[in-house]
Amino acid sequence: MSEKTKFNYDAEVLSRVASLNIRAMNLVDGLLSGQHRSRHKGSSVEFAEYKDYTPGDEIKHIDWKVAGKTDKYHIKQFEQSTNLKVTILLDASGSMAYKSPDPQGQLKMDYARTLVAALSYLFLKQYDAVGLAAFNDHITSHIPPRSKPTHFQHILHGLETLVPSGVTQLNEVIKDVIERLPRRSILILVSDFLTRDSDIEKNLKLLVSRGLEVILFHILDPDEVSLPFEGDIVFESLEDDLSVGLDPADVRETYRREIQNQIQFYRSYCSSLGVDYIFLDTSIPLEQGLNYYLLRRKSLGKT
Amino acid sequence: MNLNFISPLYLFGLLGVAVPILIHLLTRRQQKHLLFSAVHLLFQSQKRSIKRSAPNRRLLLLIRCLGIILLSLALANPIFSFGGPGNFLPDTPSASVIILDDSYSMGTRTGQKTFYDSAVEAVLDLTQSLPADSVYSVVLGSAPGRVFQGWTDDPGRAKKILKFTQPSARTTQIGQAFTEALQLLETAPQRDKRIFILTDRDKNGWNEDNFSSIEEGTRYPVEIIDFSGMQSGINLAAVEHVEAHQDFLSNSRVIRVEMRAINLSPTKPINKLKASLWIRDKKQTSGVLDLLAKSTGEKEFSFPLQANTPLTGEIRIEDDLLAQDNHRFFHYQPNQSIKVLIVDGDPKTVEHLSETFYLERALNPFSVSTSNIDPTVSTLAELPMRNLFDYSVVVICNARDLPFGYERELEKFVMHGGALIITLGDQVDPKFYNEKLGRLLPVTLKSIHQITQQDEPFRLLIKPSQHRVLQAFKGRTLEEMKSIRFNSMYSVEPKENAEFTIPMWFLNQAPALIESKSGKGKVILFVSSIDRDWSDFAIQPTFLPWVQRWVKYSARKLDNLTQQELLVGEPFVWKEPATGSSIYIESPGGKILRLRSRGEKVTFDDTFRPGVYTLRRGDSASNGNSESQTIPKLPSGTEPAGAFTVNIDPRESISDKISDKEIRNLLSEMTVTFSTGYQHRESAHPEEGLPLSTPFLLLVGSMLLLEGWLIRKE
Repeated sequence: MSEKTKFNYDAEVLSRVASLNIRAMNLVDGLLSGQHRSRHKGSSVEFAEYKDYTPGDEIKHIDWKVAGKTDKYHIKQFEQSTNLKVTILLDASGSMAYKSPDPQGQLKMDYARTLVAALSYLFLKQYDAVGLAAFNDHITSHIPPRSKPTHFQHILHGLETLVPSGVTQLNEVIKDVIERLPRRSILILVSDFLTRDSDIEKNLKLLVSRGLEVILFHILDPDEVSLPFEGDIVFESLEDDLSVGLDPADVRETYRREIQNQIQFYRSYCSSLGVDYIFLDTSIPLEQGLNYYLLRRKSLGKT
Repeated sequence: MNLNFISPLYLFGLLGVAVPILIHLLTRRQQKHLLFSAVHLLFQSQKRSIKRSAPNRRLLLLIRCLGIILLSLALANPIFSFGGPGNFLPDTPSASVIILDDSYSMGTRTGQKTFYDSAVEAVLDLTQSLPADSVYSVVLGSAPGRVFQGWTDDPGRAKKILKFTQPSARTTQIGQAFTEALQLLETAPQRDKRIFILTDRDKNGWNEDNFSSIEEGTRYPVEIIDFSGMQSGINLAAVEHVEAHQDFLSNSRVIRVEMRAINLSPTKPINKLKASLWIRDKKQTSGVLDLLAKSTGEKEFSFPLQANTPLTGEIRIEDDLLAQDNHRFFHYQPNQSIKVLIVDGDPKTVEHLSETFYLERALNPFSVSTSNIDPTVSTLAELPMRNLFDYSVVVICNARDLPFGYERELEKFVMHGGALIITLGDQVDPKFYNEKLGRLLPVTLKSIHQITQQDEPFRLLIKPSQHRVLQAFKGRTLEEMKSIRFNSMYSVEPKENAEFTIPMWFLNQAPALIESKSGKGKVILFVSSIDRDWSDFAIQPTFLPWVQRWVKYSARKLDNLTQQELLVGEPFVWKEPATGSSIYIESPGGKILRLRSRGEKVTFDDTFRPGVYTLRRGDSASNGNSESQTIPKLPSGTEPAGAFTVNIDPRESISDKISDKEIRNLLSEMTVTFSTGYQHRESAHPEEGLPLSTPFLLLVGSMLLLEGWLIRKE
C-alpha cells in the first residue's frame, strides 16, 4: 500500500469488523453459493421439499424412488444458497476533501475510504460480490461487483486512486445508477450529503421501490457540524459556491440548526422508508460506529 | 454657491479623520481564508442570521470620521452663501479688465438665452463681486478690439451700459482687445491686476500677430471663461456668398441670384436645407440644397425682372442655433449701362487711324445708350487722372507700356472685380507686359508672327463653342468669321501653374484669345490688334457683336463699382465722380450720414451693421462743413448714386475652437486659468451669508449619540 495516502485499513480494524457477519435479510438472485438464503429452489445438498411434476420440469430432477413407490412423479427440490450483490456508492465530490484545521482531525475522505474498505472486506469474506462506484456529479469510476477474495485488492486500488473533486449531484447519479443495479441487491451510499440537490428523498424512494436494500452512511467532520471557528474568515468553497467572508460567531447558531435539521430529516425519512441510516462523525472511531450499526441490524433480525 | 471659512486654520483638524481610520485598520482582525465544504449552508445561515456586526463596525467608523469632519468644519466657522468659488477673484482692491467677446458667434442660442446673454450676466456678476475700492473696465473683443468702459469703481455701471446690448455682427478679435487691456492695466495704480476674457473661443479671433505686441515681462493673471460648452446643439449651416446678376445679353428680363452655403458640421451631411430668396422682405422663391459634411453647395435662383428699379434682397436658409449667419444681403441695379474705359496706346490725329476708332464705335454704334455700354476713350497720359473704380471694364489697346506704377492700380481694380481686356499691336513692349503685368497675365508674350505677302493669312479656328460669349455665333455668322484675315499676331507661352482658358484659337494651333480670373475680376488677352493694322476683323460684320459680348460678359461680375460687397467693418471707399455735390449714405438702420470728402475720395467706416447701404448724391452742402455728420432726414433733391452691401464674415461661423494649449502658447508669460460657462463669483465679503457652525455642532452631537447607541447594541 502506498505511503502517500492516509488510507487506513490496518489489520486490527479489518479483523474486528470481520468477526461480525452481515447477512442480508432478503434472498437475492446469485450465481455463487454463499451464506445468504435464496428464495429460489435449486440444486444443493440441503433438501427442501417435493413438488408435483409438471410438464416443463427437467426429467433429471424427478425422484425415481418416490415414483416407484407411489407411481406419481415428484420433483425433489433443494434449498439453494446464493451470494449477495453489494454496490457501494462513494461520494468523491470536492466537499469530501474537507480537512479540519485541527491537526488531530481526520480527512473526511480517508474516513470514508476506511469505511468502504471495511465493508468490502466484510462482504467478500462472506463470499458476497462487492462493487464500487465513485461519483460527484456523475459516476467517475466503477468497479463491477465480484466475489473473489482477490477482488478486495481491486477495491482497495480503486479507493486509493480516488481524488475528490467536482460538485455533488446525487439525484443525477442515482438516476444514472438505478438502471444498472440488479434487483434485490444491496446499495450502500456513503456521502456527506452536502449538496444543493433537493428531492433526494424521491430518488431514495425509487431505489427502495425497485427492491433494493439501501444503506446510507452520512459522514461529516465535527467542524461541519458545529462550526467551531473564530474570527473573520473568508470561506472558500471546495465545490463551486462563491466565497463568503463572515464572522462564524454571527451565524453559528443558525448554521448548527440547519445541519441538525438536515441530519434529522434523513434519519426520520430513511426510517419511514425502511432504509438504514447511519450518521458518522469523523471524530467517532470507525469500528465503534460500525459495531453499533451491525449490532443493531442483528437485533432487528436482518442478519 | 459658496462656502467660506472665517477661521480656516481649524480645517487642519480634518487630518484627525486619520485617527479612527488607523484605529479601525489596526484593530481589524486578520482575515483568514479557509476551504470549507458547506459554504452554501453558510450563505443560507447568513441570510437568516439577524446579528451582523461587521457592517456595524464600518458604520461606526463612518460616524466617527463624520464627527471629526463636522467638528473641524464647525470650528472653522463656515459661512454659506449663494456664490461660486472665488478662487480667481482678489481679496484686496484690484484693477480688472473684462474682455467681453461680442462677435456675432456669441449670438448662438442655448435655450432661451445666447452665449452673449450669459456672458453679460457673468460680467455683471463679476463687477458686483469685486472687493471694495476695486476698479474695472470693459473691453469689447470683436474686431476692432476697443474699450467700451474705461476704469470705473461703480459696480452698477456695467449694468447700465450692457443691459440692452446685443452681440455685434463683427468677428472675434481677442488679440487687439488684449492689447487694449494691457494698456489700460498700465494706467491702473492698483497692485493687484487681472484680466477676464469671456468668449466662445472661436479660433479665428486669436490671431498670433495680434499677440506679438505683448512686451516681455508683462505678467498678469488671466482667466478665460468659455461659453461654447453651454451649446445644446450645433450651428448647422451658414450662407457664405450671394451674388445677383442679369444675363449679360442685352435686354434680358431675368435676374439670377447665386448663393453658396456651407455645412459647418464636420461629420453630418445636411439633406434638403431650405433656402429662400427675399426681395424687399417679400419671399420671391425658395428651394432646397444638399450639403455634404464640411463642404459648400451652390444654388441659383432666377426670377423675372418686374421694373427697372434697384433690387435689394437677401438669401435666407432655415434657422439653427446661430441666426446671424443664416441670411446674406445683396443689391443689384438692373439694366444699368456698363462703363468702359478704352485706353488708346496708339492715338492718331486722323480719327479713323486711331487704335480705338473701331472699338469705340462697335461698343456704342449710335453714340446713344442703346447698347447699354458707355465707352470713354483715354490716352495713356490721361490715365492717372482717371478713377478706375468708376468703370466696370478697362480695355488697353496697343499700349507700349503704362504710366509708372499704374500696374498696381490695375491689379487692385481687377482684384476688386473689374474686368481688364488687353489687345496687342505693334506698339506693345513685350518686356514691359511680361514684367509689370506678370501678376495679371497668365501667359508671357513671346514674339510677333507676321506673314509675308505670299503667305496665307492667319485664320481663326472656327467651330461651334459652348462659351457663353461664343455660343451666339453659329451657322452663317460662324462661317463669316472664317473669312477674317490676320496678318500679324503675338505668340504666347503659358506661365507655370497659371490657370486660364483659351476660348479662341488660330488654325495654326496658336491661342487667339486667353481668358483668366484674378481676384473677383477677369483678364482677357487678345493676341492681335483691335484695329485694322494687323487684321480686317474690325470691318467684319461679326466684330460688333463679338466685341459687345466680350465686354458684357467680362463686366457681369461688376456692373457698377458702387455695388461693392463689403464685409462688416471694411471701409467703403469711393472716389467721388461728380465734384461739387454732397454724398449721403443711408444705413440699414435708417441712419443718414452726410459724408465728408477727403480730396476726391469719400470714405465711410461705419459699416458694422449688415445690410444694404444706399448712396445718394445731392447739391453741395450748404453749410460748407467738411466733416461727416448724421442728419435726421435726406434733403430734397437728392438722386440715387448707387448702393453697396455689407455682410458678416462667414469665417466667424466656423466652429473651430482654440485649445487651452494654444492659448497658453499665445499668453506664454501670463498665468492662465480656464473655466467653463457661467459661474457666479463671490469673494469680497466672506462674512456675509449663513453661518453653519451651529448646525455642524448639532450634527456632531447627533453623531456622538448614534455612536453610543450602536456600541450599546453591539
